[in-house]
Parts: sequence; C-alpha cells; structure tokens
Amino acid sequence: MSMRPALGSAWRALGERRVTALSLLVLVLAWIGATEGGLVDDLFLPGPASLWSGFLDLVENGYKSRTIWEHAALSLERVLAGFVTGAVAGTLVGLGMGYNRKIEAFFSPLVEFFRPLPQLAYLVLLIVWFGIGETPQIILLFLTAFPVSAIAAMDGVKSVSVLRMQAARSMGASEWQVFRYVVFPSALHEIFTGARLAIGVVYATLIAAEIIAGSTGLGWVILDAGRFLRSDYVFVGILMIGVMGLVLDRLLLTFEHRIVHWAGRD
Amino acid sequence: MLETGAVKGRLVAGRRPARRAIAALRRRGEATLRGPAWLSLLSVSLVGFAWWFIHAFALVPAVLLPGPGEVLATFIEIVRDGYRETTLWQDSAATLARCCAGFLLACLTGVPLGLAMGYKPRVRAACDYIIQFMRPLPPLSYLILLILWLGTGNASKVALLYLTAFPIVASSAMAGVWTTKLQRIQAARSLGASEWQIFRYVIFPSALPLVFTGARIALAAAFSTVVAAELMAATDGLGWMIFSASHFLRNDIIIVGIVLLGILGMLLNKMVLLVDGAVVHWRGVE
Repeated sequence: MSMRPALGSAWRALGERRVTALSLLVLVLAWIGATEGGLVDDLFLPGPASLWSGFLDLVENGYKSRTIWEHAALSLERVLAGFVTGAVAGTLVGLGMGYNRKIEAFFSPLVEFFRPLPQLAYLVLLIVWFGIGETPQIILLFLTAFPVSAIAAMDGVKSVSVLRMQAARSMGASEWQVFRYVVFPSALHEIFTGARLAIGVVYATLIAAEIIAGSTGLGWVILDAGRFLRSDYVFVGILMIGVMGLVLDRLLLTFEHRIVHWAGRD
Repeated sequence: MLETGAVKGRLVAGRRPARRAIAALRRRGEATLRGPAWLSLLSVSLVGFAWWFIHAFALVPAVLLPGPGEVLATFIEIVRDGYRETTLWQDSAATLARCCAGFLLACLTGVPLGLAMGYKPRVRAACDYIIQFMRPLPPLSYLILLILWLGTGNASKVALLYLTAFPIVASSAMAGVWTTKLQRIQAARSLGASEWQIFRYVIFPSALPLVFTGARIALAAAFSTVVAAELMAATDGLGWMIFSASHFLRNDIIIVGIVLLGILGMLLNKMVLLVDGAVVHWRGVE
C-alpha cells in the first residue's frame, strides 16, 4: 500500500529524466526486439548478448596479439603526444599573434590555410615522407592541434579588456607584467576552450589516421574487425572510443575549472 | 588607444629607448587595425622559397618533394587531361556534392530538432543523450558499419557526413534558443503575442546567429570527413585522387590535391560567412 505512492512520487521527482528514461527504454527494446527477434542479421547489428560476449572476448583474449587495453593505451599515447606538442606550440604562437599585429600578420596565412584543410589529405604525404609508423601520425596530430589552439589563444588575447591593461599600466606595470598578470590570465579561459576543441579534433583525426595507416590502436581494431565482418568487435570498439573521448573531455574540463576558477565571474 | 600609448610612453621615457621604439610601433599597429600585409606576403614567400631551395639543391630526393614548377606543370596537365579517366572537375564536384548533400540534410533535420530541443525540455530529454554521445565519436569509426549497412556507394558516404554534421548543428541550434533574453519573451508576451508568434519573431531570430555558427563548424567537419571517407572507399573525388596518387608515388599530384582542398575549404567557409552576413545582419548589433 505504502510502496506505490512512494514509487510514484519518486518517479515524478525525476522530472524530465522520465522522458530520457522512456526514450532510452524504447531504444533498447527496439534493439533487443530487432536482433533477438531475428529481424536483423547479427552480422549487421549484433544483439546485446553477442555484444557482451564480444566485449568479454576482447578483454580476455585481446585482439591480434595485443590486449585491448594495449591498443587503447597506444591510441591515448599518440593523442597525448600530438595534442600536448601542438597545443603548447599553437598557444604560444597564438598568444604572440593576439598581442602583436606583426606576429599575427606573419603567421596568419599559414594558420588560415591549415585550419580548413582536411587533415587526412596531408597524412598521405606524411606517410610517403616518414614511412608508416608513429612519426607521421604524431606530426599529423601536431598539425591538427596547432591551428585550433593558435586561433583560440589569439582570440583570447584580443578579448582582454583594454581597461584592465590601462589600469595595470597606470600603476606602473612593465610590459612583461601586463602580459603575465593581465593578458595571460584573461586569455586562459579561451585557451582552455581551444584546448578542448583541439583534443576533440585530434582524437577524431587519430582514429581516422589509424584506420588508414596504422596497425595498432583502437581505430585499427575497428577497421580490421570490420574487414572480417566481426560487427560485435566493431561495436565494442566504437563504444570504447566514445567513452574514452568523453573521459578525456571531462578530465580537461575538471582541469580547467581547477585552474581558471575565476571564469564567468567578471 | 592613444591614451594608453601616451601613458606607456611616459613610463618608459628616457630609460629604455628600445622599449620606447617598440611602444611606438605598437601604437602605429593599433592605428592601422589590420596587420602589415607585407609580413603576410613575407611568410608565404618564405615557405615558397624554402620549398624551392630544398628542391633546387636536392636536399631531399625529387620523388619525395617535387619542385614548385613540376607541381604547376602537373596541375595544368590534370586540368587538361584529368586523372585516371576522371577530370579534375568531376573529382572536385563529386567531393563537393557529397559534402553538401550530407551537410544540407543535416541542416534540414538538425536545425528544427535543435530548436525544438531548446524550446521544449521534453524533446531535449528524449534526444539530447543520443546527440551528446554521437558528437565526440570520430566519424570514421562508424564508417565501417555504414558501409556494411548501405554498401560502398554514395549512400554510405552521405550518411556518414550527415551523422558528422547532425549533432553539431542540432546542439548549436539548441544553445541558440537558450541565448534568447527572457525580457524579450516577456515583453512580447505582455504585448499579447501568441506562443507561435513568440517563437517565430523572438526566439528564432535570437537563435539564428548560433545556428549559423554551428553550420560553419559542421560544414568544416563534413569537409574533412568527406576526404577521409574517399580515402577509404571511392572511385572518384579529390580524396580518392590523393590516395590513388600515393600508390604510384606521384607526390606532385598529391600536392596539387592538398592545395586544391585547402582552397575549397577556405571557399566553403567564406560562403557560409557570406550567407551568414546577409541573413543574420543583426549579429553583434545589440
């Protein structure tokens, strides 16, 4: 007797999340119905059971002489190597570009050319130059992260309020002090936004690079499994890539909140 | 601006001539607004010179880095004769057509859904988690599945580009609705506007700037994805041309393709900016 109203009010307290739960339920039921009911071949869309067994299989036995964690770690290593170098270099150049119009004039043609260029177009050239392996992939990721970070840092510096710079100057701050204590902290929020954008692009590019040029990493696992029509492995791979991307983004966001604790409090 | 310079000038007066000179330079830079164009020219010509230098003194084998002259000759040759039975225009058109088909489909469905998601919390609750899961997924990771489902033809590529652009367009349209000022909605309501009128005349125009921003990002994403998709499975398109040329170590053709893609990418971006400027004339004018 007392259970039902309690359940009812808890259900109501969920608010809009009820709709989310319902829509998720419908989706999952449709998936189970389509796969277990035999409407769709397991080859095209693996059911929950075969997805789970595929996951366990990958975790226990790994994929082609490496554990699935090794593949994930290799992907992560490349992402971090390319992202860190590209973001640091891009941010430094972008800070200069925002601060000084001559630096901006010098670098902007290069940055503007590289930004809209599809990354995989020059991967082919990098492979011809550096061979298949880590080097071309990390250079590719560097070139991917660089323009994104540079433009974010430049915009950040340009949006610094002139009033603050004038205030610091009128109190006798040196050029370096103005940069270090006014311009840089003000730009930091946008630098982090740029970094999150960059890591997203780098991550997507890496998977693409592995699919085309790799023989290790999560992207390659998906491609290789797809060739052998193991769609359960493909699905597990996609889910792992999605979760990993989400975690990377959250980590960066937490990091940002730690450092730029003054964001949005102007 | 001038005041800043004056104050700065007084601060450093007589002590550090070099710094005073720098301050004067910066002041002049602020006055002209746009950076000196000759520096842009210098950086472009430096890259060109380095390219020519490396080629002319054979610092790397010519197979790996063909000279500017050769690349230009190859470009003319491809324009005239095409590449492996496809003309350059066919390849460019194929790439652009795929890109635009996926992008436009995504806009046609993603913008209304995004607007509805911003306007109605229930719609958002029903759809948001799917979009937020798809957004960070690298598109190429599910290309294999699409090929499995739809075959290697254009259908799988257009679907891939659609799925690339859709989450971006939808989430920015949703965010656009949220930027509507509450006072304006209240003002319209107090003047007796109906729900539909509020949506049509208040919320929609307020959301439009972000809708266009999202469209620009989505088009750029679709453009880089289309090339990736063509590398994997295609028989025409600029991405295919580059990939096919790499099998024959024709680096001159690869460089022609890269430069063309760079120019096309910049043009696409400019195009959206132009439409944006023409339609959303109230952007930033509040």
